[in-house]
Amino acid sequence: MAEAASSAPLSFDNFDKAKRMQGELTKRYFQRLLTAKEQGRKVGYAFVMANPIELFNVFDIVPLYPEITSLNISYRGGAPPLISLSEEMGYSTDACGYVKMGVASVTEGTSTSIGVLPKPDVLLLTFSGCQIYIHWWEQLHYQTGAEVLVVDVPYVRERDGKVPSHDVKYVASQLEESIPQLERVSGKKFREEEFRETMRLSAEAWDLWRKCIEMGKLTPCPMDAYFEAIYYMAPITIARGTQECVDFYRFLLDELNARAEHGVGPTKKEEYRLVYEGVPNYPFFKNFWGLFREHNARGVAATYPKVAGMIDTDSFRINPDRPFESLAEYMIHAYCNWNMPMRTDLIEKYVRDYRADGVVIHSIKSCRSFSMGQGDIREHLAKDLDIPTLLIESDHVDPRYYSEAQTRNRVDAFFETLALRKGGGGN
Amino acid sequence: MQALRTYFAGIDAGSTYTKGALVDDRGALVETTVDMTGINIVTATKKAYAQLLEKAGVSEGQVAYVIGTGYGRYRITFGNTQVTEISCHAKGAHALFPGTRTVLDMGGQDTKAIRVNDRGEVVDFCMNDKCAAGTGRFIEGSARVLGLSLKQVGTLSMNSSNPVKVSSTCAVFAETETQEQLAWGNKLEDVLYGIHVSIATRSIGLLRRVGIDPEITFTGGVSQNPGMIRCLEEQLGQKLNTSPLTNFCGALGAALFAREKYENTTGTGRSAA
Repeated sequence: MAEAASSAPLSFDNFDKAKRMQGELTKRYFQRLLTAKEQGRKVGYAFVMANPIELFNVFDIVPLYPEITSLNISYRGGAPPLISLSEEMGYSTDACGYVKMGVASVTEGTSTSIGVLPKPDVLLLTFSGCQIYIHWWEQLHYQTGAEVLVVDVPYVRERDGKVPSHDVKYVASQLEESIPQLERVSGKKFREEEFRETMRLSAEAWDLWRKCIEMGKLTPCPMDAYFEAIYYMAPITIARGTQECVDFYRFLLDELNARAEHGVGPTKKEEYRLVYEGVPNYPFFKNFWGLFREHNARGVAATYPKVAGMIDTDSFRINPDRPFESLAEYMIHAYCNWNMPMRTDLIEKYVRDYRADGVVIHSIKSCRSFSMGQGDIREHLAKDLDIPTLLIESDHVDPRYYSEAQTRNRVDAFFETLALRKGGGGN
Repeated sequence: MQALRTYFAGIDAGSTYTKGALVDDRGALVETTVDMTGINIVTATKKAYAQLLEKAGVSEGQVAYVIGTGYGRYRITFGNTQVTEISCHAKGAHALFPGTRTVLDMGGQDTKAIRVNDRGEVVDFCMNDKCAAGTGRFIEGSARVLGLSLKQVGTLSMNSSNPVKVSSTCAVFAETETQEQLAWGNKLEDVLYGIHVSIATRSIGLLRRVGIDPEITFTGGVSQNPGMIRCLEEQLGQKLNTSPLTNFCGALGAALFAREKYENTTGTGRSAA
């Protein structure tokens, strides 16, 4: 009996510990955030895309990403009261769910499913790729009186992604000029050595994260590079520039290597390899994933987990020896700051490099900067390149826009089409 | 003693109607049935299946395989498996009109544009977003406020010579707009035809997204509406394939898939064909 037990194949749970580690890391982060004020620390609000969080680290400013708090609240089913509150305040149903939840979260007397969020001491406005965010921060300023620190990030205009050196200088100089303001807000002096050290840790984490996501090229793919990567992408945003973040990605890389070695993955087997574009549906995240998982489909590459940074392209590398310039390059190359042909080319490259069977685009009602042009991407992939492409729609935080029956219908039909393509006879 | 023939059934549990189709072992259509889905989809599908067998004079034991399709496909308790109505409409349309390369399926709450290959297999598809404008529900809503039947709406609209522009893109607001247009003195047939134009325009947008390749076969409940056929043909500048059977394309496709599935499972091949 004992022999039989020891020779039994290891279950997937043995190779799924990084998610738990991510959960604990996120819990510690929320704890630090929710107790920041009582510990005399300052809180800085920032966006996920293009945040120079390494600068906050030097001043011991605890970052709060309203996008991340909102998606966590929504994942736990807590979005409706916040969305209703914002709509009572006059926000349209069509306005961005992140904005509405963010505004409601700082309204006096509001408690969310993750607690009472601390008010900002500084609002870092980078708005890379999203104009609506400017007005969101403006509103937060009116509500809380916190000062706004603006870093204007120019759009990537060239098809080949080349950025003129004066654009990099323009952003880098704004970052340098922000130091006196951050010193004043935090009451702490800028220490260059500390800045270089956090940049070094940031670079190390980025390199490890890149190795993790590029494992999607393996067949079978040892992870779901969309649904699982959404858990894995959290530390690179909330803990970047710390040893904790580096340790997480080293652990994840080892775990993915072990999965590859033992031939295990997030589905029983790999029948379909998919590329995903778009923000996921958080209120029904597991159901949404289930629609694909039940067909034994694994995401092999996706654009959304790169909103933290386009690390699997050669657009930027964090460099402690040129800290402001390399941070500027990272900020300019935010996914939604790319022009549409670049985004389309990237998806096409993913299909080729990761040998995908098709592309799934999840368009969300809230986000114009993400969803704009997705119809054209679909048309280009399907008509010009003959790549099976599915476009489905809902929202990332607002549960009112998700209809499982309608989504399932489209997803099932897509797999029937893919099965025919693969010669499986489909039905 | 002669062996009893074997049959294959498809049940299409749609949002408004439940349809059934029965084919024989050569894939020939034997019988169809249609009834309102109502509030209990399980009962509706059982009833449709029983009606189908009764009309055809076939016993349940003679049916070798049943496939469910439509929104209620997972609620068909007696079925062997499920296939989406997208694949089924493609297959059914191709069976009725083998030259079909594009299918427009207009049902109660969904409109689908489907591109198919020469075997009737889905190459690409697009559906309306989560909104009933551009679907059969749009016509139903307008019919209800005017106290007309669906059939009357289609037939009366054929008399239109000067269609009114119905600007609304919302099925609920269209009801109000229909009444307003009449209050302004527009003729009933012109308002009704205007509604058809509004829906056709949205459907053609979907068709363009998958590419319009002739022949186009028009399926689903709305394919029985002469006003909609005229309107689509005028706007597309080409004839559409339709017949009284295009209402059953989903169920027919499901029945044909059932036959294929059975043959693949049992290895009976196509010797009977």
